[in-house]
Amino acid sequence: MTPTLFGRWQSRFFLLGTVGSLTTLLFAVLFRSLIPFILLAVVLLLGLGWDVVYDRLQKRRWDRDWPPTLQLAAGVAEGVLLAGLLYGARLLPPPTPTQFVLHYTAVWLTTFLASQSLMRLIFPRWRYHGGQWI
Amino acid sequence: MNPTTLLTLHWRDPLTGESRTQTAVYPLTIGRSPDNTIQLNSSFVSSHHLRIEDSDGQAWLQDLGSRNGTRLNGKLVGKTAVLLTTPSHIEIGPYSLHLTQPPGDGRTATLTNLLDPATLAAIRQSYQQPAPALAFSSASDALEATGSSEPAALPPIFQQRVVPLAALNQPYESKTYLSVGGGLGSFAWINHLVVYGAAPDDILTIGFEPKPYGRYQRLCRNSQIPDHERLRSNSDSCPDNLWGWPGYGVREMWGAVKNGRFSHAATIGWQLFNEPYVQTYTPVAGHVFAAIDREAERIGWRQLWRHGRVRAIRQTDDGRYLVAYTHLRDGQPDQHRLVVCRYLHLAVGYPGVRFLPDLQAYRAQSGDFRRVVNAYEAHDHVYDALAQRGGTVLIRGRGIVASRIIQRLHELRTQHGSPIAILHLMRQPLAEGQQFDHAQREVSNHWEFQPFNWPKAAWGGDLRRQLEQASDAERKELLACWGGTTTADRRDWRTMVDDGLREGWYEIRFGAVQGVEAAENGRLSLTLQRDTTLTHQTSLEADFIIDATGLEAGLESNGLLRDLVNQYDLPRNARGGLKVSNAFEVEALRHGEGRVYASGIVTLGGPFAAVDSFLGLQFAALRSVDQLTAVRATGLRRLDGLRSLNQWTRWAIGAKP
Repeated sequence: MTPTLFGRWQSRFFLLGTVGSLTTLLFAVLFRSLIPFILLAVVLLLGLGWDVVYDRLQKRRWDRDWPPTLQLAAGVAEGVLLAGLLYGARLLPPPTPTQFVLHYTAVWLTTFLASQSLMRLIFPRWRYHGGQWI
Repeated sequence: MNPTTLLTLHWRDPLTGESRTQTAVYPLTIGRSPDNTIQLNSSFVSSHHLRIEDSDGQAWLQDLGSRNGTRLNGKLVGKTAVLLTTPSHIEIGPYSLHLTQPPGDGRTATLTNLLDPATLAAIRQSYQQPAPALAFSSASDALEATGSSEPAALPPIFQQRVVPLAALNQPYESKTYLSVGGGLGSFAWINHLVVYGAAPDDILTIGFEPKPYGRYQRLCRNSQIPDHERLRSNSDSCPDNLWGWPGYGVREMWGAVKNGRFSHAATIGWQLFNEPYVQTYTPVAGHVFAAIDREAERIGWRQLWRHGRVRAIRQTDDGRYLVAYTHLRDGQPDQHRLVVCRYLHLAVGYPGVRFLPDLQAYRAQSGDFRRVVNAYEAHDHVYDALAQRGGTVLIRGRGIVASRIIQRLHELRTQHGSPIAILHLMRQPLAEGQQFDHAQREVSNHWEFQPFNWPKAAWGGDLRRQLEQASDAERKELLACWGGTTTADRRDWRTMVDDGLREGWYEIRFGAVQGVEAAENGRLSLTLQRDTTLTHQTSLEADFIIDATGLEAGLESNGLLRDLVNQYDLPRNARGGLKVSNAFEVEALRHGEGRVYASGIVTLGGPFAAVDSFLGLQFAALRSVDQLTAVRATGLRRLDGLRSLNQWTRWAIGAKP
C-alpha cells in the first residue's frame, strides 16, 4: 500500500462507514448496546489525527509505502490508545475488556481485508490514487 | 532479360542465435563488406568472400580468395567454381548457411514477375545500413546488430501529412481501435477497452508475436530469467487483471493450498504480509505468462491480433489514421495492407538495447560476437563454454540483470564445479545510496537496493502524483533521483556476493574502459583509463565480457516512430521521450475526432515513472481508456462501482466481458 494523506482519510471514512459499520452492527445486536457505534465514531475521529502521524512516518521511508506489518502495528497502537481512554480516562461507559477486544479486532480485520480486496474491485483507480476513491 | 534465379538461404545468426531466412536473387556475393548481396558480420568472413553465379541455368559457387576459406558440404572450395546443388550447406567462418530452393520453381522464375525492382533495391539496401545499437529485427524480432531491413517503399501518397482517403488506390479495412505493437502494452490497453465495453470486432492489434508476452519472455530468457524464475514485479501488478486482485501472491498461496503444500502457502503469506521486512514477494515468470494466456483467451485476443509489422501511420482527411502494415504469413512478408482507425495506440516496446561504446567498437572491429555479448542477446554459449572449461567473466552494470547473471554463474560453479571467476567492473565506487527528502536508499558492496526499479510510491502513492503535477524539467530531475541502477534486495543474491568476495571468485574493480582488444594469449584485454582506476592496475583480462548495463536506445531506433516524429514534428519531453499528456495522449497527433495514445518506455520522462512495468502499462491503459470514455468513444462505459464489481466477477468465473 502506498497511501497519501487524503487517501488515508477517504479510505478510513469509506471502510469504517461500510464494512466497519456492518461489523459493528453485529456486535451492537450481540451486546445489546449502542456503545460499539460510539467507539467506531471515536476510532474514526482519532484516526484523522493518527493518519497525519502515519503520513509523516511514511515519508521517511524510501519506498514511501505502508506495508501490512505497519498497518498492523498502527492498528495495535490505535487500539492501545483507545483502551487507555476508555479504561483510564473513563471518557465513556466502557464495554467489558473482552467485548472491546473482540469488537475492535473484528473491525480492524474486516476493514483490512476489504482494503486489500473489495476496494480494488469497486474502485479500479483507488490503488493508483493512494487510497482516494473520490 | 535472362531468367533470374532464386535461392533461399537459412542460417542461424551467431550473434543472436536467431534463425534468419533470406531469399535472394543470384548472381550474388556474400562477404563482410556492405556492398555484398548478403553481408555477414564477422572477422572470419572476408570482405568479398564468395560468389554464386548462374551459368547454363545452373548455380555455381566460387570462393573469391577468402582468407579463411569456404566449405561446401564439408569440403573446402578452391578458386575454381563448383556446381551448387540444393539443398547444400556452406560454412563461412562462424556462419553455417543452408541453401534450398524457394517454394515454387525458383529457377525458372523471372525477376520481373517475382520481385519488382524497388523491392529488390530495398532488399539490397537493407544490408547496407549500419545500426548503432541492437535493434529488434523486423524479420525475426530478435535483437540484431545489423539493423532492421526496410521493406519496399511506401505508396507515394504517404509523403503527405494528411492522406485523402478517396485518393487511395488500394482497399482498406476500417476499425475503431487499433493498437500497434501487439505486446504487453497493447494487451493492457485492449484488455481495458474490452472490459469497459468495446466490442472485440471494433478492435485490432498488429504485432510480431502471437503471444502478447512473446518478446518479453524472450528477453527474460536471454537475460537468464527462465520461466521458473521470479520476475522483479509486484504481486498485484497483474497484466491479466486490471483490478490487481487477487494478486499473484494470493493465487500462488491458493494453488499451494490446493496441492497440499501448506508450508509453501504459509511462506508466501508471511512474505506478503511482512514485505519488505522479509524478502519482497515476486511472481514466477511462468505463472504470469499462464495467467495472461487465460485472459487472452477470455477477451478473444487471437481474433483481434494480426501477424504483421506496421510500416507507417498518417492522418486521414476524415479525422482518422491510416496505418500501412506488412502482413506476415509464417513469418514471411505476405502482402502490404492498409487499415484506417479512429483511435490509435502506440505500444512498440523498447526500440532497442544500446551497447557500451567500447564493447561495440571491439565487436565492430573484430567481428567477435561470441566473447563480448549483451545480456539481452541470446548468449547461452557463454554459459555452456564456462560450464565445460571455466574461465573469467567480466560483467559491466550493476542492475537486476547483473545479479541474475552472477546467480547463473554461481550455480555453474556450485553444480558443475566449474572454475569460474567473476570480475565486476564498475565505473565508480558507491558508498551512499540515493537520497530524496528524508529517505535514503540502501547500499551494500557497491550495489544499491530497491525492491523494484522505482520507489513503490511512484506507482500509486504520493510520488506518482508529484511526478504527474511536475513540469517537464522537474520530471527529469525527479526521475534521475528515484531511478538509477538498482537491484532487488534478494537474500540469496546478497549471500552470493558476500560469499564470492570472501572466497575470492567474485571481485569488484573500478574504472572507465579505454578499449577492448584480443590479447596475444587468446583472452580479452580491457585497458582502463589511468585516472579512473583506484588501483595501479590499468588492464584486466577476461574470457568473456557481458554487458548488463541495459542501456535503452532512443526512439529513433524504431523506424516507425522515427518516421512519425519527423513527419509530424512531434514534441519530445525533457528526457527525449515522446511527449504525452497525463492521459498518455500524443496530443500533437490529435486530429478531428481521432486520438493517438502511447504507452511503454517511449513515454519515459512524461507523467509516470514506471512506464515499462506491468502496472505502468496498465496505468497508461486506464488513463487513456478513461479519457476515451469521457469523449464517448464507441462502446465504452465508465468502469466503477457495481459495474466494475460485475466485470471482476466475470473475470473470476472466466466469462466473456
